[in-house]
Amino acid sequence: MPRQVPDGDAPLSRRRWGSAQPVWDLPVRLVHWLLAALITFSWWSVHNHHTDWHIWSGCAILTLLIFRLLWGFVGSSTARWSIFVRGPASVAAYLRGRWNGIGHTPLGALSVIAIFLALALQVGFGLIAEDEDGLYTGPLYRLVSIDTSDKARDLHELWFNVILGLIVLHIAAIIFYRLRGMKLTKPMITGRAVLTPGAQPMRSGKWWAALICLALSIGITRWVIAGAPPL
Amino acid sequence: MRIVRIALASIVLLAVTASAATVRVSGPKAAQVMHERHEGMEAIGKAFKVLHREFDAGSPSVPTVRASAARITALGKRSSGWFPAGTGPDVAKTGAKLEIWQNPQDFAAKLSAFQKAALVFNAAAAGGDMNAAKARYADLGGTCKACHDKYRTEMHH
Repeated sequence: MPRQVPDGDAPLSRRRWGSAQPVWDLPVRLVHWLLAALITFSWWSVHNHHTDWHIWSGCAILTLLIFRLLWGFVGSSTARWSIFVRGPASVAAYLRGRWNGIGHTPLGALSVIAIFLALALQVGFGLIAEDEDGLYTGPLYRLVSIDTSDKARDLHELWFNVILGLIVLHIAAIIFYRLRGMKLTKPMITGRAVLTPGAQPMRSGKWWAALICLALSIGITRWVIAGAPPL
Repeated sequence: MRIVRIALASIVLLAVTASAATVRVSGPKAAQVMHERHEGMEAIGKAFKVLHREFDAGSPSVPTVRASAARITALGKRSSGWFPAGTGPDVAKTGAKLEIWQNPQDFAAKLSAFQKAALVFNAAAAGGDMNAAKARYADLGGTCKACHDKYRTEMHH
């Protein structure tokens, strides 16, 4: 039952609608900015002959992706796949201006899925790839032949262009919204935004659930780094 | 005796390498050298990938390690003739940087370090002690990287 707010109760209504409310939890924000930093670092390191750092960076990205996948099932409302991934009807309604929520918009959700899948595929290529000289290998290179490993490296290189394209689109969308008066970057830093009247506030996830997701993602990554031995 | 042989071979290689950069080629000869260089480097890389898999597996196959070591050593010897002037990126598409011909002495030293490391690794592989061979293989990899980091562009083929 929503609490009855008497007309003219200025302090209460300001607290609900006027001031910034939580929209992104800490895990979502950390994943976002760590991804941005690690993707940049991965790109820089491999172009500056630090292939070993590049591989470690990729393993860290793998950990983040596993964490985010899990957090999407047990995290805060705005982190959950089941809440922000909507059908085409919702996307159409959003485009017609009939959407009033917080977190990822139905259209933005498509971008989240595209970026997540593109990164997962990129990590997958990297895991089985080896460098041109046979000096460095992804942790799962033994699961495939030398030829497959070489092809994976070529695809890993090519696929980065797709990721770059998605990043450009992502930043372009942020600029587009900014020009229309909506600031998206600050909430991704502070976690808070002023909600539109009537929007459902965020339901927070449990901190211990985040810790379990983190432990699982580190555990799975360690198993992958070990070459995915039989359990 | 082996040390003496390696030392003598190294001196000969160094002499050949040092002279290599001063020779200038052009036309079909340049294209032929560049083709041989590309195929040769690729074959060395392939042999290295085989070795990486062997040494990473608990018990490497001695014949496979020996064959790959011999192949790298043989190609290493030929590599002295792979970088004559006139086979740079100003002539045709290649991963070889212009800096090779701008720093001929440093490049010759790096190429020679690779050739020596290949000989030492080959000797270790022939000796049969795979732990020793693995250590020399790591040294050899270091010489590949030292040169490639400085003198090879990122290739897209």
